[in-house]
Amino acid sequence: MVSLRDFLPYLGRRIIGAFVVLIGVALIIFFISHILSPDPAHLWAGARASKSTIAQVAALYHLNQPWYVQLYYFLKSYATGNFGTDPQTGRSILSELAFYFPNTLELVITCMILIVALGVGLGYISGMRFGSNTDKAIRIFYLSCWSSPYYLGGLLAVLVFSSYIPLFPSSGMTSQTIGPITSITGIYVLDALLQLNGQAFLSGLYHLILPATVLALLEFGIIARIMRSSILDTRWSTHVKAARAKGLEEGEVRRNHILRNALIDTNTMIAVTFGFLLSGTIVIEEIFAWPGMGYFTYKAIVSVNYPVLIPCVLVFTLGVVVANFAADVFYSLLDPRIALGEGGGSES
Amino acid sequence: MSAGVTSVRRLITSNALSMFGLVTVSFFLILTVGQVVSSGRILPYNPYQPNFLQSNASPSIAHLFGTDLLGRDMLSWIITALPTDIGIPLFTVVVSATIGIVLGTLAAFFRGWLDEFIMRLTDMFMAFPQMIMSLAIAATLGPSLVNVTISLIVVWWPPYVRLVRGAVLEVAAEDFVSISKALNSSFFYIVRKDAIPNVLPSVLVYATTDVGTALLTLSTLGFLNVGIPPASPELGMMVSNVGYNFYLYPYQIVIPAVFVMVIVAGFSFLGEGIRESLDVRLRPHILIRNKTVEEYEAAERHKSGPI
Repeated sequence: MVSLRDFLPYLGRRIIGAFVVLIGVALIIFFISHILSPDPAHLWAGARASKSTIAQVAALYHLNQPWYVQLYYFLKSYATGNFGTDPQTGRSILSELAFYFPNTLELVITCMILIVALGVGLGYISGMRFGSNTDKAIRIFYLSCWSSPYYLGGLLAVLVFSSYIPLFPSSGMTSQTIGPITSITGIYVLDALLQLNGQAFLSGLYHLILPATVLALLEFGIIARIMRSSILDTRWSTHVKAARAKGLEEGEVRRNHILRNALIDTNTMIAVTFGFLLSGTIVIEEIFAWPGMGYFTYKAIVSVNYPVLIPCVLVFTLGVVVANFAADVFYSLLDPRIALGEGGGSES
Repeated sequence: MSAGVTSVRRLITSNALSMFGLVTVSFFLILTVGQVVSSGRILPYNPYQPNFLQSNASPSIAHLFGTDLLGRDMLSWIITALPTDIGIPLFTVVVSATIGIVLGTLAAFFRGWLDEFIMRLTDMFMAFPQMIMSLAIAATLGPSLVNVTISLIVVWWPPYVRLVRGAVLEVAAEDFVSISKALNSSFFYIVRKDAIPNVLPSVLVYATTDVGTALLTLSTLGFLNVGIPPASPELGMMVSNVGYNFYLYPYQIVIPAVFVMVIVAGFSFLGEGIRESLDVRLRPHILIRNKTVEEYEAAERHKSGPI
């Protein structure tokens, strides 16, 4: 089990590790943005920029200096917490991130709840009925869902559930008729709930259902697959036989001896999926006009807006690192035999 | 070796899912090769030729999958896209697997600082948001198929290093490797004779499924209009070009997207099938289809008699 005495040094080691990874990622993206591109000043200023604008941009971001001077300015501004301003909107990038990130978090958390329910549930049933027709049907279902490109799921959902059968709205986070609500956490549904604004809460939830469900259906396959194979790994193992032999009820054997052991491996995958989803919502956000990180980053990528892109990539990387860390902590909580930092294989 | 191949073949063909995967993958590979070799002569129509009298025609005998806004035959356009949509993912996965085998073997055999360096680097690339990074690299390098391939490979190799390193570490602990070392075998000899043959199956399984994943990412790049040159044949870009036309003619997005889905499913079913065939613990349960384990165990007990 995790005691605070073991936990704090471990946390320290992981924070240092995460720091190293973040610096590495920042260096790599710096390399891509400043050195790989043939004419960064021209790209940053935009396709139709005049010569003087290009010169201005080059001066502002030190693009005419040698690369090590650029690297110095880059690291210096990031180390002092200065992420700069968005050249396209003129707003501070930090405030833009604070607006877009919670929206993505809202989508991803809702989606994760659905993914865990679907993936663990169907994977369990599939594994326990190995070889049966139910198993085959479930496998075909999750493998087909997993094989679908995002745009197929997203566009079909819009077409069927908001065009043919107008059940759900096809875009946005809330109804136009509801005025803006005060932001506390930034997560719309949560804010509405905290302020007891029933109308906004229901509208937010209503707009959330379709994109979250589509994303969950497209992504639950990997969890179902891991769950199924972990069930297959445990259900014939000797400790389960021993549990049956000593006369435990079947329900208890399944709950405590099969399900619990199978969840140990699945939990790592759940965390990995969470980290992946933060940056994996890009197509769904585009289709459903969801003002989140994916939408924001895509806009930055298409206009090759590096001052915005770099912090976005760092936020996503941080998400992956935190998710992996959570997986390792859960790992040792679920499996008392494993000390912190030994298991999971998601050390980073 | 041949006995092993036969039993793997029997296991694949005994499982409907992996059989579906095998048939689909072979079909599309043959179609791709046919398209490349015949340089487009197998197509029913010229895919680049607009025909405005036939625009937005629904699927029919003349146009099996209908025509698009410009009246171009969808089937011909899809087949034209196959070399891109299957070739690039295959190439990406082969290159990534090669990088993985080289770096993973080096890390596992030499350990020490080299291992530390390679694995730190791998971890760094693993923490990357995959889709965002390939989008960013492709957008930076500018639209061309070569640049798209580069952008995919940059984010694609890290899992292979981890996979190979883990597998080689397991092999390196075996007695036959220590004996080989004691006999003064060269590093390359041990790698060639002991490490690679033992690592290859797991890499192969992972890579098979991975071709599908690479196709998903590639066609998403196409859908987002990043990296793939405009108006070049690519299934994701084909979907995105439909635009608002899809409310009126949904088949124009559904058909190419379902093609992507079927190809991806083919590769992942095949990979999944091979994985289960190679898993010794599951082998008996696959060979006796439609029987629960209890029935199988009962049958086995019956066969061998009371102990």
